[in-house]
Amino acid sequence: MSAEMSRRAAPSTKRRWIEAADERARRWLPALAIALGILAIWEALVWALDVQTWLLPAPSDIGIALYQDASLLWTHTRATLSEIVVGFGLALACGVGLAAAIGLSRTLERAIYPFVIASQTIPIIVIAPMLLIWVGYGLAPKVIVVALISFFPIVVNMVDGLKSVDRDMVSMMRTLGASRWQVFFKAQAPTSLPYLFSGARVAVAVSVIGAVIGEWVGSSEGLGYLMLRSKPQFLTERVFAAIAILSALGVGLFATVGAVERLAIPWWRATRGQRANEI
Amino acid sequence: MRYAIQTIGLSKTLTLEGRPLDVLRGVDFHANDGEFVSIIGPSGCGKSTLLNIIAGLDSPTSGVLSLHGRAGSARLGSVGYMQQKDLLMPWRSVLDNAVLGLEIQGVSRREAVSRASEHLGRFGLDGFEASYPHELSGGMRQRAAFLRTVLAGQDVFLLDEPFGALDALSRSQIHRWLTGLWESMNKTIVLVTHDVDEAILLSDRVYVMTARPGSMKTVQRIDIARPRSADMVTTPRFVDLKSALLTSIREDAHAHEIAV
Ligand SMILES: Nc1ncnc2c1ncn2[C@@H]1O[C@H](COP(=O)(O)OP(=O)(O)OP(=O)(O)O)[C@@H](O)[C@H]1O
Ligand SMILES: [Mg+2]
Repeated sequence: MSAEMSRRAAPSTKRRWIEAADERARRWLPALAIALGILAIWEALVWALDVQTWLLPAPSDIGIALYQDASLLWTHTRATLSEIVVGFGLALACGVGLAAAIGLSRTLERAIYPFVIASQTIPIIVIAPMLLIWVGYGLAPKVIVVALISFFPIVVNMVDGLKSVDRDMVSMMRTLGASRWQVFFKAQAPTSLPYLFSGARVAVAVSVIGAVIGEWVGSSEGLGYLMLRSKPQFLTERVFAAIAILSALGVGLFATVGAVERLAIPWWRATRGQRANEI
Repeated sequence: MRYAIQTIGLSKTLTLEGRPLDVLRGVDFHANDGEFVSIIGPSGCGKSTLLNIIAGLDSPTSGVLSLHGRAGSARLGSVGYMQQKDLLMPWRSVLDNAVLGLEIQGVSRREAVSRASEHLGRFGLDGFEASYPHELSGGMRQRAAFLRTVLAGQDVFLLDEPFGALDALSRSQIHRWLTGLWESMNKTIVLVTHDVDEAILLSDRVYVMTARPGSMKTVQRIDIARPRSADMVTTPRFVDLKSALLTSIREDAHAHEIAV
């Protein structure tokens, strides 16, 4: 029976892949159309009203800047990207660890959670300059700012995930003789993964802002630094080029987390349709 | 005679919003070693609560419960329990779901897989070991959940309406299958069901419970020779037993109506 099934599946695999690509293209089409529409209107207005480039560059000016300053932009993009990746990695490690501690013990939850929430009320803009004094001028202060901003959605989502475990599933495991740790690793942790990925997607998007804030306070490289330096030089098109790259970074990182999610928890998407029907 | 399961005067009182609610009151119940016993009772009478207590997930408010003659509270892990939902883990394949109990006991992966493989055919899951629960039919999911329970190797099984989701056709198939399995395994089975025919076809004895607070009202020995089949539902003895059980069940419904 299964052999028959796989034989039937084999020739359609390629077609299914093409259909999936097609489907994906169709999904992005509206966003692309809106972006192109806005750019066209923008371009037309700048030309029609004869706006100075230093005040508001036309999309074509930004495009030219992207092309002409490519190597400069690339150097700074690499710096910002490494701040984001290291900071996000740190946030992920700390966030998962904290969420696990909170999920495992009521006492730890009461002890830790208030500080997790309080950490989000820290005015980063005020703290960031102090970080320079505390940990120095290099990568470290930016990484800390990125991590401080992005660990929050990770912790909150994962804690919710750990708590949303099916109670009957826990009962079932206990009748099989499972220990508290086995329940945690075999039921709670897998249940929390989709929540963790939701949190990670939010976190990776805000981590881009975190890196820029970190750079504004004090640095000698990165897209945030480049924007700060280019503005007084009236290189507004370069500022916008940096913004365009930051947006692209955000979208790209968001999509990357989504792709990792699809690979790591394929069962989630497959069962989501059923859950929607249940509701 | 030591019973596999015995309860004497078992009661359970819940506290809901500060007010006590008697769910079970004085349940006297037993199952012999290797016996197939069914429990029938109106919805909400406390059947699942009773099974939860026997399995060790819950403790009685008063009364005695013993397993194989031993009274005590450490029952978790020693009684197999299949709840109303199949509770398969959506992130595990059929095989990985099936070996969950062995994995918890610390049995090596290779050993667990080989034990599971022996049973796949008999549970109608051959060729589906790599499938995920959402790809299976309701009946297959139930069998996968049952395989998980069986592989854990306990000698007493509690089954809480495991066939509720199946249509009549797959029900009669699974009845035959379950009887065969039970006869070959020498295990004690306690089955909760709403279906009187099902209870008679499968059981050695059938308990009828009262409405909440639940207790055992009657117990009926099913003296129909095995092997039994679905055609037997028209034989005189079957009809007699069924009407006796239905009378017992209806009496209660009637008394309940008057009480309300
Ligand atoms: N968490 C709870 N909250 C409120 N009431 C509860 C709870 N748990 C049990 N009860 C009450 O306990 C009674 C027994 O519940 P139980 O699930 O054991 O019944 P049951 O016989 O298994 O019913 P069913 O045939 O519908 O499965 C019910 O009448 C219900 O009102
Ligand atoms: Mg029930």
